[in-house]
Amino acid sequence: MRHLLTRLLACLALSAAPLVAGAAPHAYALETDTSVVGFAWTLGPDTVKGTMPVKRADMVIDFDSAANTHVAVALDVTGAVAGFPFATQGMKSRKVLWADRFPEITFESTAIRPDDDGAEVDGLLTVRGITRPVTFRAQLYRQKGTQPGDRRRLAIVVTGSLSRAAFGADGWSGMAGDRVDLTILARIRREE
Amino acid sequence: MALKNGPESFGIATRSLHWLTVLAVVAAGGLGLWIEEMEVSLATLQYFGWHKTAGITVLGLTVLRIVWHRLSPVPPVLPAPPMAERLAKAVHLSLYACLLAMPLTGWIGSSATGLDTVVFGGITLPAIAPVSEAIEETAFEIHETLAALLWVLIALHVAGALNRAFLHRDATLRRMLRG
Repeated sequence: MRHLLTRLLACLALSAAPLVAGAAPHAYALETDTSVVGFAWTLGPDTVKGTMPVKRADMVIDFDSAANTHVAVALDVTGAVAGFPFATQGMKSRKVLWADRFPEITFESTAIRPDDDGAEVDGLLTVRGITRPVTFRAQLYRQKGTQPGDRRRLAIVVTGSLSRAAFGADGWSGMAGDRVDLTILARIRREE
Repeated sequence: MALKNGPESFGIATRSLHWLTVLAVVAAGGLGLWIEEMEVSLATLQYFGWHKTAGITVLGLTVLRIVWHRLSPVPPVLPAPPMAERLAKAVHLSLYACLLAMPLTGWIGSSATGLDTVVFGGITLPAIAPVSEAIEETAFEIHETLAALLWVLIALHVAGALNRAFLHRDATLRRMLRG
């Protein structure tokens, strides 16, 4: 993952690239095989990393207007891996994500605020059926092998944190920390 | 060295089962106390598995011991004052009950968490209770209460054995050590 990110970051950051003439809202499809939702949580003094597959994603990006940009993502809780088998079982159990009853985690953007280094993405995150407003940090890059200014294939790195307790996913709080850090790498392809 | 119990002596099978149970109980109890106090981390997580392994060993040994004593009855208790005999009998029965109930309540509590109960580093035991926080809490509360009771019973058992060995100087402890 780190190697992948290093390669991506070595590419030109799209946010610094000149805009393509005629920019308009474009729908993008997620390349699910090469996209990954990574998360990190603490077990006592240790940090444990896990992954969760992306089930579907609907993305419309307008490089001229953040207001026209919209992202909706659903994650597959049942396919998540929390670092080691017990942790995975615990995470999917009723005490935490309750995967049997709530097999998806969803996120829908409500506002995107671009800045010099990417964007702040406000949205509604639904975990265990509880919806809370969250803000994630997003940075957009073109993928390796593409030319500067070519926005047909992009990579988005989203980072942020959330509180398990805020979503009622507070099981084993004596062992596992409340904070979960997210690092999402989404590779997307413009739909023609 | 007889395998079976004699009319006045314990056979090697009963003595082995007794002392293996002692080791397993000390291991399970010690690890249980350690787990309560330790900081859970990737390095210490394994102690839960060790505790469950020791506990399920206690259960297995106790069941084996009960079955064995049906096949090869233990010799009668050596004569003692009626009160002491009644106390010894009550302690023995309570010990057996605890040695069965302790691992079972732990197993029930573990099953109720929804997590696999894995022993001996890789054997997953079947769940014996539905996933339920109420069952989990109740089972572990009983487990902890029984743990305290078990330590008291062990103290009484050891005190009784030492009393007979050093004050009354009878063969109670010797025949559990040497047959």
